[in-house]
Amino acid sequence: MATISALKKKELYIDLRKYASFADIKNGLTEKLTNISTKRGGSQVTIDIGEKKVTTKQIREIEDILLDYGLYLKELRAIGPPALANEEEIEATVFEEMPDYEDTILIRKSLRSGQKILADGNVVILGDINPGAEIVAGGNILVMGCLRGVAHAGVFGDEEAIIAAYRLIPTQIRIASHITRPPDGETIVVKTPELARIRAGKVIIEKLKI
Amino acid sequence: MESKVIVITSGKGGVGKTTTTANIGTALAMMGKKVVLLDTDIGLRNLDVVMGLENRIVFDIVDVVNNNCKLQQALTKDKRYEGLYLLPAAQTKEKTAVSPHQMKNLINELKKEFEFILVDCPAGIEQGFRNAIAGADEAVVVATPEISSVRDADRIIGLLEASGFREPKLIINRLRSKMAKRGDMMDIDDILDILSIELLGVVPEDEYIVVSTNRGEPAVTDTVSKAGAAYRRVARRITGQDVEIYTGEETSSLVNRFMKMVKLAR
Repeated sequence: MATISALKKKELYIDLRKYASFADIKNGLTEKLTNISTKRGGSQVTIDIGEKKVTTKQIREIEDILLDYGLYLKELRAIGPPALANEEEIEATVFEEMPDYEDTILIRKSLRSGQKILADGNVVILGDINPGAEIVAGGNILVMGCLRGVAHAGVFGDEEAIIAAYRLIPTQIRIASHITRPPDGETIVVKTPELARIRAGKVIIEKLKI
Repeated sequence: MESKVIVITSGKGGVGKTTTTANIGTALAMMGKKVVLLDTDIGLRNLDVVMGLENRIVFDIVDVVNNNCKLQQALTKDKRYEGLYLLPAAQTKEKTAVSPHQMKNLINELKKEFEFILVDCPAGIEQGFRNAIAGADEAVVVATPEISSVRDADRIIGLLEASGFREPKLIINRLRSKMAKRGDMMDIDDILDILSIELLGVVPEDEYIVVSTNRGEPAVTDTVSKAGAAYRRVARRITGQDVEIYTGEETSSLVNRFMKMVKLAR
């Protein structure tokens, strides 16, 4: 069995050295995490998988699993990709330079095709963003109506920025330097408010929990 | 006399602006109103053809603004209805031959004589569009149930609102209710959901429109054309009458079935 031991308060150590394949490592990790008390939420986790090579993508997958349990990856002990340390450094500097988005503007109308709103801070729209309309914000974007057009949050590079909408049916979603669009040929009808944000390097859409 | 200046616009071409202008104008004239149709599509005029007045044109809108003729001389009288006039566009000039300011002055002149001034707007959002909306108080946006048309209509509504038109109204043209019901075409609710403006009328797809355009006789003059009936309703709503909006439902009334039997209905 893999072992979990508490290093410090709010820090966890998970030993996954015995698993050979990455699939097994993920399964082992999930199994361990289901047994962890929810009080551990928010903890930093150190994972040891021994003398195995991992790619950046695999690290992100592990981060993703941890996030599902409200945990953060502190360190992955493995033979990591050489760029990893560097990448973390870059991200750290970007975050430090992030200005605080205290300015929030309120727009009390719908944006029609061809209309564009630019804002340094957060934007709240009491209306729809129609196809062909665009909203670009340094901070977060909240649409109280239907988002059918293009929304770009965190335009100065803030990967923590989110886009939330009462109905999220966008042409395209952009957060910081990430661009995503709905899959071709599929129309998913969701009748609840949704939220777009970056998790483990990808833009994901999730149900907005209130 | 209080006159209404209504611009009929769409953004996208080919959705039926000119047909709509001709039919609403003719329907209003049939109700005894004094109406002038103003074609602002300089260089690509069509309204005269649809009205069947092409061969009567002597002077046009560019002649009027350049003082080459008097306004009265350029107003072409309709061949069917008293009180219906057409001020044709020039075919050999370009949109820049008229400025928004000149258009405003021209419309102010027309206001002295007419109850309804219908402005047929060219496709696009350039100078032709700016000319057409310059002197208008109200706007009617024509859209067909296609994504591209609705997208352009949305853009136009945005521009109209930015130009101070408070409540543009919508005409949905060429609706095929059967296709909409099957989900193969956008239906009225889908369009209103995006455009969120007041619906003035719904005009069904009708082959007779092609016939009427070629003959130069607006469909409203035909008693059995479905599109013609829809345009007559629109005209009544414009005059302030409370008429129910046609929603594309097939009426299978006894009269209709009888008409079909005797091959009157199309």
